[in-house]
Amino acid sequence: MRYQDVWIVVPAYKEASVIGDVISDIRSVFDHVVCVDDGSKDGTGDLALRAGAHVVSHPVNLGQGAAIQTGVEYARSQPGAQVFATFDADGQHRLKDVIAMIDRLSTDDVDMVVGTRFAEPSASKPPLLKRIILRAAALLSPNSRQLRLTDAHNGLRVFNKKVADGLNITMNGMSHASEFIALAVENGWRVAEEPVEILYTDYSKSKGQPLLNGVNIIFDGLLRGRLSR
Amino acid sequence: MNWIQALLILAIVALLVYLLRSRTSARTKAWVKVGGVLFVIAAVYAVLRPDDTTVVANWLGVDRGADLIGYVLIIAFVFTTLSTYMRFKDLELRYARLARAVALQGARVPDDG
Repeated sequence: MRYQDVWIVVPAYKEASVIGDVISDIRSVFDHVVCVDDGSKDGTGDLALRAGAHVVSHPVNLGQGAAIQTGVEYARSQPGAQVFATFDADGQHRLKDVIAMIDRLSTDDVDMVVGTRFAEPSASKPPLLKRIILRAAALLSPNSRQLRLTDAHNGLRVFNKKVADGLNITMNGMSHASEFIALAVENGWRVAEEPVEILYTDYSKSKGQPLLNGVNIIFDGLLRGRLSR
Repeated sequence: MNWIQALLILAIVALLVYLLRSRTSARTKAWVKVGGVLFVIAAVYAVLRPDDTTVVANWLGVDRGADLIGYVLIIAFVFTTLSTYMRFKDLELRYARLARAVALQGARVPDDG
């Protein structure tokens, strides 16, 4: 099987109804998957294990940022791991986008490839209000502007060992996406964007973060860096 | 002396006793204690001679001493809130690291992995 050096990190919280399919789907292409069960009580971890994922379970719910950090720490300690990808557990990402991003990582000589919903032409547009807010967040963030990124909060990312080793996400909740970008600027990681399609199913919409959470994200961004690490 | 003055002084003295009895012996805590004692002295003085706070207020361009105390209180409250928030964030991070260590120790590997 190809992609022996790739590890897919899937943070999951209460995804019992879909996690098995999502993991099986990933496993049809990638051997190495680690699912971080973020303290769910619905058997998400067991289902992921049965579907063939390594499972790391938070004893309590911490949030998606913390789950990604845990998954990356697990994956980067595995022998032979060179390429890492974050992949949402709700089935909104497409595997072929991940494959394209992995290829891009090696051909373009960058450290990280992040997905964007706003490349033209794109088939899947987020709902209008969401689109406006996501674009505004990307434009308002000095870090995103510096890297010329168009989508501040895309769950799909592919990165190399350098990024995985340097990753230290301190925002436990949903602000980790901006923190990813901030870390890239601070550490001088080269970042590229790849157009991806998001499948806005009813399920993924219901699991998605409310738009009001954008306020939290901006606030957390202002306070970041003022905390002792 | 008014009743209210007696009650306020009693409360301040109780605060002082509580402050000095806490046995957290770090160096930073010592400064907190010194600050606390100074605060208590100032507070008792202000309770006994409330008109003197008005004098200080007038120096600063505020009409009444009570208003000055109100302003100081608001600023102190904002600082306390912010420092509590930062402390919670810091604690949250340590808590996450603890939970992460536990999680990584209990990692489960699939049969064919």
